[in-house]
Amino acid sequence: QTWDMPTPYGDTTFHTVNIRDFAEDVSKATDGKLEIKVHSAGSLFPHSEIKNAVRSGQVPIGEFFLSTLSNEDLAFGVDSQPFLATSYDQAEKLWEAQKPVITKLLDKQGLMPLFSVPWPAQGLYTNGEIKSVDDLAGLRFRAYNPALEEFAALAKAAPVQVEAVDIPQAFSTGQLQAMITSPSTGANSKAWDFVDTYTKIDAWLPKNIVVVNKRAFDRLSEDEQKAVMDAAATAQTRGWEMSKKEAAEKTAEMKDNGMAIVDPSPELEQGLKKIGDEMLANWKEKASPDALEVLQAYQGN
Amino acid sequence: MSDPMTFAILLGLLLVLLAGGVWVALSLLIVALAGLSFFSGAPTGLVMATTLWGNSHSWPLAALPLFILMGEILLRSRLSEDMFSGLAPWLGRAPGRLLHVNVLGCAIFAAVSGSSAATAATIGRMSVPELTRRGYPESLILGTLAGSATLGFLIPPSVILIVYGVATEQSIARLFIAGILPGLMLVSLFGGYVALRAWMNPASIPREDITLNLREKLRASRRLIPIVILIGGVIGSIYTGVASPTDAAAVGVVFSVILAVATGSFRWRDFKDALFSATRTSAMIAFILLGASVLSVSMGFTGIPRNLAAWIGTFGLSPTALLAVLTVFFILLGCFLDGISVVVLTTSIILPMVEAAGIDPLWFGIYLVLVVEMSQITPPVGFNLFVIQGLTGYNILKVARAALPFFGLLLLAVLLITLVPGIVTYLPSLMGN
Amino acid sequence: MRRLLDQVYLLSGGIAAVSILAICLLVTAQVGLNVLARLGGPALSYTIPSYADFAGYFLATASFMALAHTLRHGSHIRVNLVLTRLPARGQWVAELVALALGFAASAYAVWFATSLMLESLHYGDMSTGIVAIPIWIPQCAMVVGLGLLALAFIDTLIESVRAKRPVLVDDVSE
Ligand code: NA
Ligand code: NA
Repeated sequence: QTWDMPTPYGDTTFHTVNIRDFAEDVSKATDGKLEIKVHSAGSLFPHSEIKNAVRSGQVPIGEFFLSTLSNEDLAFGVDSQPFLATSYDQAEKLWEAQKPVITKLLDKQGLMPLFSVPWPAQGLYTNGEIKSVDDLAGLRFRAYNPALEEFAALAKAAPVQVEAVDIPQAFSTGQLQAMITSPSTGANSKAWDFVDTYTKIDAWLPKNIVVVNKRAFDRLSEDEQKAVMDAAATAQTRGWEMSKKEAAEKTAEMKDNGMAIVDPSPELEQGLKKIGDEMLANWKEKASPDALEVLQAYQGN
Repeated sequence: MSDPMTFAILLGLLLVLLAGGVWVALSLLIVALAGLSFFSGAPTGLVMATTLWGNSHSWPLAALPLFILMGEILLRSRLSEDMFSGLAPWLGRAPGRLLHVNVLGCAIFAAVSGSSAATAATIGRMSVPELTRRGYPESLILGTLAGSATLGFLIPPSVILIVYGVATEQSIARLFIAGILPGLMLVSLFGGYVALRAWMNPASIPREDITLNLREKLRASRRLIPIVILIGGVIGSIYTGVASPTDAAAVGVVFSVILAVATGSFRWRDFKDALFSATRTSAMIAFILLGASVLSVSMGFTGIPRNLAAWIGTFGLSPTALLAVLTVFFILLGCFLDGISVVVLTTSIILPMVEAAGIDPLWFGIYLVLVVEMSQITPPVGFNLFVIQGLTGYNILKVARAALPFFGLLLLAVLLITLVPGIVTYLPSLMGN
Repeated sequence: MRRLLDQVYLLSGGIAAVSILAICLLVTAQVGLNVLARLGGPALSYTIPSYADFAGYFLATASFMALAHTLRHGSHIRVNLVLTRLPARGQWVAELVALALGFAASAYAVWFATSLMLESLHYGDMSTGIVAIPIWIPQCAMVVGLGLLALAFIDTLIESVRAKRPVLVDDVSE
C-alpha cells in the first residue's frame, strides 16, 4: 500500500531530505509493501491543515512545526521558549521531557509522534553589531508569535508582523531592522542581501515533528509497524546529526557571503538571560499542568 | 489505469461539464471529486472540506477583493475617464493610441499587485468601457488586456515567484529582481504588436484629439494628477516600508475613495454599488480558485502530474530539448489547471531534472512564470479569461481568440530568454557579491 | 416566500461586503500605526495583534457568504457558447441539469464542511498566531455560506422547473 505524506518545507530543506530517506528505509524494510509518497512544500495541504488532515485520516502521516500547536497547549511550544534550551544537548534533554507529555496529548487526537528533529539554534540578524540588550531598544523587530511579541516588549524593541515571504523586502524598505531565525532560513533567504551581522545568541531550537494516524498505524501488519518504528528511530538520530551539520554549514555560508558572524558579548548574554527568566516566569502562570510537567522534568534533570 | 488515460477521462469530463453550461468553479470541483473518488484512495469529502477551508483564508489572497474594490471605485468616479482624457493627447500620434493604456496600465499595476487576476480586474474595469466607448476594435481591447494582465505575475511582487521561491528555496528577492527585465521586454513586445496592428490597419484605430500644442497638452494632463497621486501613494507606501504589498491594496482603496470624493460626483450610493459589485466579483474569483485548489489536491493524490513529469525525466534529454518538451508539457497542463497549481504540483520532480541538465534554477523560475502566464489565457481554464468574461460578458472562447496573438508573444519571450539568458540573470548578478 | 429568500441572499451578500470592508479598515489601521511609528519612533510603535490572521478569516467569510448572492445575481461565470445554440427546450434541460449538479455538489460540501467544523470544535483547534482564535468560529461562515449556496441552487431549480425555462440571467456589465 501507499501512504501519502504531506510536509510543509521544500525539497532541499534537510528535514525533507531526512523524511525522504525515512520513506526509502520503510520501503526497503517492507520490500515495497509500504511505500511512503512524500508531498513536499505544502503541495498537498497548507501547513496549517496538515495535523488535522492526519487526525481525520485524510493522510496517514505528516510533518509540521511543533510549536504551531502552542495555542492548544503550551506543552507543545516549550521548545520555542527563548533561552530555555539553547544547545543540542539541552534540546535533547528537553525533547526527552517533552515527548511523554505530547505523546499523551496527541493520543487524545488519535495521533502518535514518530520522530522530531530540531532546526539549528536561532540567531539574531541585524545591521551593525548588537552589544547589549539596550542596543535592541527601538529597533523594528519581527514578531510572529506571542513569545516573540513578549520578547520585543521586554527588550523595548518595536514588534512588527511580517510574513516570512516579505522579509527581504521588509528589511530593504526599513520596515524591519532585526529578526531572530535559524541560520538555515537566513542562508536560504540570502540574508546578506539585506543585513550584515549574525549574532549567535542560540535563543532556542524549535522542532518539526512527524506524526502518524494511530488507526492507520494499527492497520499495518506487525512487521510493517516494526519497520516504521525502526526507520523513525534512525531518522531521529540522522535528523539531529543533519541539523548540527546544517548549523555549521549555513553559518559558514553566511560568513562566506560577507556577513559578520559574532559571538554575543557577555553583557548581551546576561541581558538576554534575564529576559528569558522573566518570560519563563510569565509562562509558568499561563501554563497547563501538562506544560508544567514538561518543565519540571526538564529542569529536574 | 494508466495516467494518460485517467488524464484524458478527467479532461473529457471537464469539457463536457463546461460545454453543458455548468459554472466554471463547479466544473472544477466536480472533476476534482471524480478524480479523488475514482482514481485515489483518499476520503473525498474530508479532503475537499479541508482544502476549501485551508485555501480560503490566506493572507496574500486578502489583497484581491481590495484591488477589485479599488477598480470599482475608480470606474464609478471621474478618475478613470480623466486618466484616458489626460493620456489621449500624448498617445494620439502613437500607432495604436489609447490601446497602450491597457499595456502600460497593467504594467504599472503589476508593480503593486502580485496576481494577474487582480491586474485584469482592476485595469479592465476602467479601460474596457472607456476604450469601447471611444470605438477601439474589440479584439484588441480584450487581447491587450488579457495579455498584459499576465504581467501581474512577472513584474514583482508576484505570488507565483513566492510559491516557486518557497518550494525551491531560491531567494525571493532575487527572483523578483530577475523578473524586471523580462517584464519590460514583454511590455515592449505587447506595445510593439499593438503598433504593428495599427500600422497594418490604420482605419481600425479611432482618431484622438491630436491638434493640441504642447501647452494645451500639458493643460489636458492636469487631469492625470489624481491618478498619479493614487499610483504614487500605493507604490510609495510599499517602498517606504509602511505597507507590505498586501497592505498596499487597502491603501489603494482609501486613496481612491478620497480622490473620487475630492474630484466630485462620487456619492455614498456609488460606494455601496462599488462594494457590492466588488463582493460579487471577488466571490466569483474565490469560488473558482477554491475549485481549482481542490482539483490541484486531487491531482496531487492521483499523482498524475508528477508521474508525467517523472516520465519526461526518463528520456535523458539535452537542456534545449528538455526545455522544449517541458514547455509543451506546461502548456498542456496549464490548459486545465491554474498557474499556481502547475508550479506546486510539478517543481518537486522537475527542478532536480532541470538542475541536473545544468539549467540555473533562478532562470528557470522566470521561465516557469512566463509559461504559467500562458496558462492564464488558454481555454478552458484560464483565469484572465474568466475575469474578463466577468467584466464584459463576452464568452471566454471569444476572449481567448482575442488573446491568442499575446499567447504567441509570450512564447516568443520564452524563446528570447532561452537564447539570451542574461535578460533574466543580469540584474540579480548585480546584487550582493 | 420568494421575498424572504431574496432578502436572505441579499443579507448574506451584505455580510460579505461588510467583511471586505473590515479587511480594508483593519489593514488601513495597521498601515496608519506603521506611519505613526515611523514619525513618532519606538515609543509610538503599536501593532494590531494577528491582523493578518483576522484579515484571512474575514476573506473566508466574504468569499463563502457571497456565494449564493453571486449565483442569484448571475455573476458566477460559465461557458454558454454551446448552450445558446440549443433550442429553448434543450437550454431548459441543460439548465436544470446544471442546477441539480450544483445542488448536489454544494450539499455534499455542506455535509463535510460541517463535519470539519464539528471536529475543530470537538478538539478545540486554535489558530497559531498571537491571538488564539478557536478555528470553528470562522469555519461557521464556510458552513453557512455553502448552506445558502445549496439553498440558492435548489430554489433556482424549483423556480426553473415551474417556469419551464432558465430563470437565471447571466450578469453582463456594460
Ligand atoms: Na506583480
Ligand atoms: Na489555461
